[in-house]
Amino acid sequence: MQIDLLERFWSVKVMTDKQTSNIAPSAQSAEGLILAIAKDKCRASFAQLFKMFAPRIKSFVIGKGLSSQEAEELAQDAMLIVWRKADYYDPQKAAASTWIFTIARNLRIDMARKQGRVKTLPEDLWHDFDEKSQEDEMQHGQSSQMLKAKIANLPDEQKELLMLSFYENMSHGEIAKSLGLPLGTVKSRLRLALSRLRNSIDKKMDELL
Amino acid sequence: MNLISQHPNEDILLDYHNGRLPITHNIVIAAHIELCAHCRKELRFYDEIGGVLLEEAEMVPMNDDALDLALARIERPYENEVEKPLPQFLEGFELPNAIKALEFKNRYYAAPGVWLCEIDMPKQDQNKAYLMHVKAGMQMPLHDHRGKEFTMVLKGHLSDSKSDCFVGDFMDAEAGFAHSPMIENDDDCLCIIACEDKIIPQTLLGKMLQPFARI
Repeated sequence: MQIDLLERFWSVKVMTDKQTSNIAPSAQSAEGLILAIAKDKCRASFAQLFKMFAPRIKSFVIGKGLSSQEAEELAQDAMLIVWRKADYYDPQKAAASTWIFTIARNLRIDMARKQGRVKTLPEDLWHDFDEKSQEDEMQHGQSSQMLKAKIANLPDEQKELLMLSFYENMSHGEIAKSLGLPLGTVKSRLRLALSRLRNSIDKKMDELL
Repeated sequence: MNLISQHPNEDILLDYHNGRLPITHNIVIAAHIELCAHCRKELRFYDEIGGVLLEEAEMVPMNDDALDLALARIERPYENEVEKPLPQFLEGFELPNAIKALEFKNRYYAAPGVWLCEIDMPKQDQNKAYLMHVKAGMQMPLHDHRGKEFTMVLKGHLSDSKSDCFVGDFMDAEAGFAHSPMIENDDDCLCIIACEDKIIPQTLLGKMLQPFARI
């Protein structure tokens, strides 16, 4: 009897692993998972979200000043904060990946001062600020899809800089050295790339006129 | 509440976002962000980019027991952080959380009307962060900088040849830039400062001040 149960559990577990381990985070499901955590403290949703994002957070921070162990811990801590602060997530204001990324990058910024506790400062979640600032209420982030498309459409040289900065995590100076470019060129090229990616209502207004 | 007019530029915000600033300089940016919706918006824009890249990032496998560990951790009870008390000399100041969360060394008087208080942090090269409080109407000796110096006003009104700064305003002094900040007569001034090396005073008074200031 016991063996049957174990086998059933095992096969269910394996099936779950197969189903979820390679799922790319699509805009909708990740948002839904966070909301399920917020609403019902749903562990299954958390497990799914963990499988989606923990390995990606780890890949984002590993080897860039962080050892494999540190990257592992940062990913763990980020997901813990996601669980604890799921109430603060508002899908109207940001994609799930944006919110989770913010948590992870704040942990990375704070890494050197971490004292073994998982601290969250208000800025991690934007929540406290949004209450104070009306400007933030008006601002809605662009959709992931729109931003993805804009990034794909960047000229190669700008795309390269964006990746070196945001993904390889290199400073302007390091990028300049690595590519053999003047520092000024790197700074202005990166600014150009960013200005193309901005969600500028003003830009749109100009185009309409 | 005044309108903040002096901000860290794009390059600095990007470096902050990417974790490329010294930890001392992070403090000044973090404090500014708490007070500045404009810069928060900018950071959120970078986070949107980061989020898209995160979605598309390769996966580096977590440890075998990672999920089990995570599921165990979420069950553990936790209390919200108790706000630790501020040192007595900081009571009465309105401070951003980024400052309140810090550990402070003892304050000391660098000169009549000027006290300094170093932030207690793990050592990182020559970088230092400290609070500086100067009585209204005083002027700092002319000094140069060897490295990047970030300043944010927490109270009062500070001005130099480049800018006029009130609460929340951010000043950025590059290596080679010499200035003699003036504390305007309206109010005593409290700032958070991060710098890369000893400031280099250029006047005799400054040279006399340096041993007191221990900057």
